[in-house]
Amino acid sequence: MPIPIEDLWSLVPEFWLAALGLLLVLLDLFLPGDRKRLVGWAAVVGLLLVLMPILGMLGTPARTVFFNTYAVDGFAVFFKIIAVVATILVILSTMDALRGHTSFEGEMYVLLTFAALGVCLMAASADLILLALSIEFVSLSSYVMAGYFKSDLRSNEAGIKYFLFGAASSAVMIYGFSILYGLTGETNLYAIADRVRTAPQPALVLAVGMALAGLGFKVSMVPFHQWTPDVYEGAPTPVAAFLAVASKAAGFAALVRFLMVAIEPGPVDWVAPIAGLSAVSMTLGNLLALPQRNIKRMLAYSSISHAGFLLMGVAAHRGDFGAPGLLIYLLAYTFTNLGAFFVAIAVGGRLGSDEIPSYAGLAQRSAGLAAVMALFMLSLTGIPPTGGFLGKFYIFGAAVNNGLLWLAVVAVINSVVALYYYVNVIRVMYLLPAPSGGSASGPVPLRLALGVAALGTLVIGIFPQPFVTLVGAAAMLLRM
Amino acid sequence: MWFRTPGGDLLLDYIPVLVHFVIVVGLTAALPALHALVGGSRPTPPKMEPYESGVWTIGSTRERVPIRYYLIAMLFILFDIETVFLFPWAVVYRRLGAFGLIEMLVFVGVLGAGLIYAWKRGALEWE
Amino acid sequence: MGTLAAFFILSAVTLIPAVVVVTSKNIVRSALALVPTFFGITGLYILLRAEFVAGIQVLIYAGAITVLILFVIMLTEGGTGIRIRQVNEQVPVGALASAVLAALLIWVFLRTPWPQGPGALPEYTAAQIGTTLLSSMVLVFEVTSLVLLISLIGAIIIARRER
Repeated sequence: MPIPIEDLWSLVPEFWLAALGLLLVLLDLFLPGDRKRLVGWAAVVGLLLVLMPILGMLGTPARTVFFNTYAVDGFAVFFKIIAVVATILVILSTMDALRGHTSFEGEMYVLLTFAALGVCLMAASADLILLALSIEFVSLSSYVMAGYFKSDLRSNEAGIKYFLFGAASSAVMIYGFSILYGLTGETNLYAIADRVRTAPQPALVLAVGMALAGLGFKVSMVPFHQWTPDVYEGAPTPVAAFLAVASKAAGFAALVRFLMVAIEPGPVDWVAPIAGLSAVSMTLGNLLALPQRNIKRMLAYSSISHAGFLLMGVAAHRGDFGAPGLLIYLLAYTFTNLGAFFVAIAVGGRLGSDEIPSYAGLAQRSAGLAAVMALFMLSLTGIPPTGGFLGKFYIFGAAVNNGLLWLAVVAVINSVVALYYYVNVIRVMYLLPAPSGGSASGPVPLRLALGVAALGTLVIGIFPQPFVTLVGAAAMLLRM
Repeated sequence: MWFRTPGGDLLLDYIPVLVHFVIVVGLTAALPALHALVGGSRPTPPKMEPYESGVWTIGSTRERVPIRYYLIAMLFILFDIETVFLFPWAVVYRRLGAFGLIEMLVFVGVLGAGLIYAWKRGALEWE
Repeated sequence: MGTLAAFFILSAVTLIPAVVVVTSKNIVRSALALVPTFFGITGLYILLRAEFVAGIQVLIYAGAITVLILFVIMLTEGGTGIRIRQVNEQVPVGALASAVLAALLIWVFLRTPWPQGPGALPEYTAAQIGTTLLSSMVLVFEVTSLVLLISLIGAIIIARRER
């Protein structure tokens, strides 16, 4: 079976990312210690260039390539855009955050680039083996990045904790995949879809449940969320931003493709448990976010609660709102949450503290930083005219449309609860007096990343039409 | 393992392996047992010392070893796994032809970049 | 009949040392008890006609992984000497969870009419694996090399001293 040459063209972005990663490895080796920043800039340029072939694939018809192991459709393209954009912004924000903490600066950009490739692979894998492998790909680079500051005990703890949780949930997930293979005799998602109708029931439920354990870990869905706050708090802040956005998006991509392609034709009712877990995730995440004093822990619990909202979009997948809602929510969440973490990097880098009380009087010390942070907090709450509102609007509509009214009610109550701790940050920044002088604006690359994140959050909210068209196309192509 | 007779019973094929295993385990159990039975035991303090080729033992034998050992072992495992992927390719490379060769070159090339990285970073040196 | 007997013997060889691994107070003994477990699994692979995987199991797991684990024990302060407790006060909860999970798995597996596909086993599994890896699973094959690469870089980042 020779490889069809024309399939290679469909993998140009992946080849490009892999080549970029290898190039960065070599570039990092031959640059002297004080010029490692260049590796980061090379990564940014390379990632910007790869956006071109990715965007060029937007309109292509959905198909699978490489013996049906790899899907080329709008859904995958959408997640590739998220992965690359998020990675560019994270690399920009990393550039000053590593100074004085590690002598492995160049390797961080290498790992981030490869992790971006892993996210792309996760979003497009149409085969259980490739899916498991790409999940490991993203996980392995994330474990190293989470424990990057070797002299920092919290970073060590983050790395170890993430590794232990990740390894255990991967094992459970792969066990589930193997049961699924035993039941259907196939590892290909589209081939499983053909066989899953006649698969014996209890074992199928078991397999799906075990697979959800691994994917739920990636998206920090309750009850697989326990690692989230400790890892986000201990990991270098840019890495936490990457985990909260790109890694989570990849988890949702894999989850949605797995459930909707392979499991949906079968007899398993997965909507009810997903809806239940969605309600539990958003509620638990919110309630635990309320008492947090550390901004990174607060954002960690908020990311658990956002996982709940996103799961609502997965549960309400039927109709015109579910899948597009999920995607537009993820897009807005990408910019908003990245922005919130970037403000944490700027403040943490200048004040050396991630505690919310040290944000007191930020409005006087650095008006711009406080303003964008306020914007991100409002978007995370879901207040118009931000992108967060558009996402919530779609997902709530989808829930009502799918007869999940109770879930929509839970989500509305949760949004009101979330208002409390998000607005608390704004209150601290604007109403409390600054304890001491000194401005807290970040270095240029970080400010650039912050600007893009703020712009993205606003533009999605104010001019939603192009984005709605984009996610409409991405969601339509999903099921081939 | 590769001598299975076509169509033969699998278990019968593995009887030599089983015999080998039984002999190995039996011998390793029998020799110390035989020694304990007929050798007798007259311990004196010098005999209880760890044997260090005639040199007196200095310090604890349970020292921590440097992390270099871990690094070497890790590199060994990674390249060990690489060879695992070389085996099945080597069996069929004639049938796969040029494509198989290119695929394997890409695979080895990526790991070659890793080797260059390890080398330049000094991971292969016993500093 | 012979296969069934072999299966039970190999299962015992796998499971009994596995219990030692998680209960022994001597961590070196735990690590070394992994070796017979790996060999038992090797035997199970052979029973499943997966001879190539069986060979790999011996090469990688019984050989290399065990050595790596022993090195890691030697890295720790007094790791080879101390007597460790592998369990904490949550033993009853953990035991209950494991028992329930095991019962669930066994119940489900026994009730499931596993579909069996037709077809003959390949004569040489290594050749079959090679053909599959380099044609229909070529993406898996190439991504594996990238996964190995980042593992290598990650190991060096973690283990090398900061300059």
